[in-house]
Amino acid sequence: MESRRIRKIAVAGAMGAISIFLGASHLGLIPWFAGAALTVMHVPVIIAAVLEGPVVGLIVGFIFGVFSAIQAGVAPTGPIDVAFLNPLVSILPRFLIGPVAWAAYRAINKKSEPAALVAAGIAGGLTNTVLVLGMLGLLMSFPVLIIGATDSASQAIQGITWPVLGMVAVTNGLPEAAAAALITLAVVAAWKRIEYGRRGSKVE
Amino acid sequence: MSFEFLRSVTFGHYIPASSPIHRIDPRVKIAAVALALAALILCRSLVLIVLALAAVLVTAACARVPIRHVLRGVGPVLPFLILLAVLQALVMPRAELGPMLIRWRWISLSAGDLVAAAALILRFSALIAAFGLFSSITGTSELAHGTELLLSPLARLGFPAHDAAMVLSIALRFVPLLAMEAEHIVKAQASRGADFGRGRGGPLARARRMLPIYVPLFLSALRRAESLALAMEARCYTGGAGRTAPAGFRIRWTDAAAFICVLAASVGLVLANRFDPDRIIILALFGAGN
Repeated sequence: MESRRIRKIAVAGAMGAISIFLGASHLGLIPWFAGAALTVMHVPVIIAAVLEGPVVGLIVGFIFGVFSAIQAGVAPTGPIDVAFLNPLVSILPRFLIGPVAWAAYRAINKKSEPAALVAAGIAGGLTNTVLVLGMLGLLMSFPVLIIGATDSASQAIQGITWPVLGMVAVTNGLPEAAAAALITLAVVAAWKRIEYGRRGSKVE
Repeated sequence: MSFEFLRSVTFGHYIPASSPIHRIDPRVKIAAVALALAALILCRSLVLIVLALAAVLVTAACARVPIRHVLRGVGPVLPFLILLAVLQALVMPRAELGPMLIRWRWISLSAGDLVAAAALILRFSALIAAFGLFSSITGTSELAHGTELLLSPLARLGFPAHDAAMVLSIALRFVPLLAMEAEHIVKAQASRGADFGRGRGGPLARARRMLPIYVPLFLSALRRAESLALAMEARCYTGGAGRTAPAGFRIRWTDAAAFICVLAASVGLVLANRFDPDRIIILALFGAGN
């Protein structure tokens, strides 16, 4: 019992560290076209949830959220980063990544472990995208909370908020969920020594 | 791709110094920065924002943290900010305040617009400065202890506050290790001819090309976690009850005074904001305008 708890603490710490490191080193951003980038910083949360359960996923999600807020404050890269200073955007949605990924994993892991890992990756990735963008959209409706722009400026922004967010969800969110599924599958399968067809890693 | 990840992990940017500001209790630091950020987000008046920014910079000077270090985050966002401010000042129709400076077709610029634009830019700068100051005076172990102490009331309700703080300190301790590990992995894969982050293909193909970094990095972290768990168990770690911090954290009167100062300043900022001091100053200087 005690050793189980210590193990959970250690794994949560290690996965939290990866999440912080991927963010700080920009290694967690896969550059795509036109300056857009896919982020995989939420993958440690998914992996922690799959390996050690929903509570560990929740804690790692919290660490991910806190450090994305700090990153946005210390080394912002664009105006949207200022929105991430708000814990409602950066922390609250991240709590749910772990539990959702774990639920998806538990639902099918008896039938096929690799399929369950893919499902966990996709569910976790989509949770992140949908909740963070949804929160941004909600807050745009109360713009004082975001950038404190004047009322008239915010009215102009509000008109385009939801279409833009929807577009981002499709063009960035779906590939991000796929990338999360790929990495979750590769890492957990290697850790638990699960065979799923592809073996070893290849350098191109 | 660069190989030096250790240098890129600049999180914290902790600047060690023995100033009274550094010695403030971590609980007070965390609570104070949260208050200051909330007050700044709610404040819209230029005069008050300038005062708040000045207060942050004076505090930084007292803590012997270079002003440039605190404001370093502003640089990258400045172009966006200026664009946003210009758009807002010129295009957005708003209640005109003070003398009209430019009126041409759909463009109108009043003194009030200029003030609002400046407030927008300075609010961002003040937010970033407050955060930068916090991270330069708070070390990582201080952050972990402060979090634990702040969470400790929740422990009575059954929340594992101690475990949560332990997770945080393990995470912070692991980051430099992982940075070194990542450096080894990237060098090893590059020596095999890997070329990360470049090349063509869809998102999935690109993610797959990063797998030779991600998989060993995750596995090494998990292996380290496993050994750590074993080591903690071997040393009879039971967590929570009866464990004390190496440095006792007690709230001294200086900590209480610092907290009350920040609290008063934050509340004052939000309250003064309701009187719209910018409007009063503009009207006093220029009259009601045209």
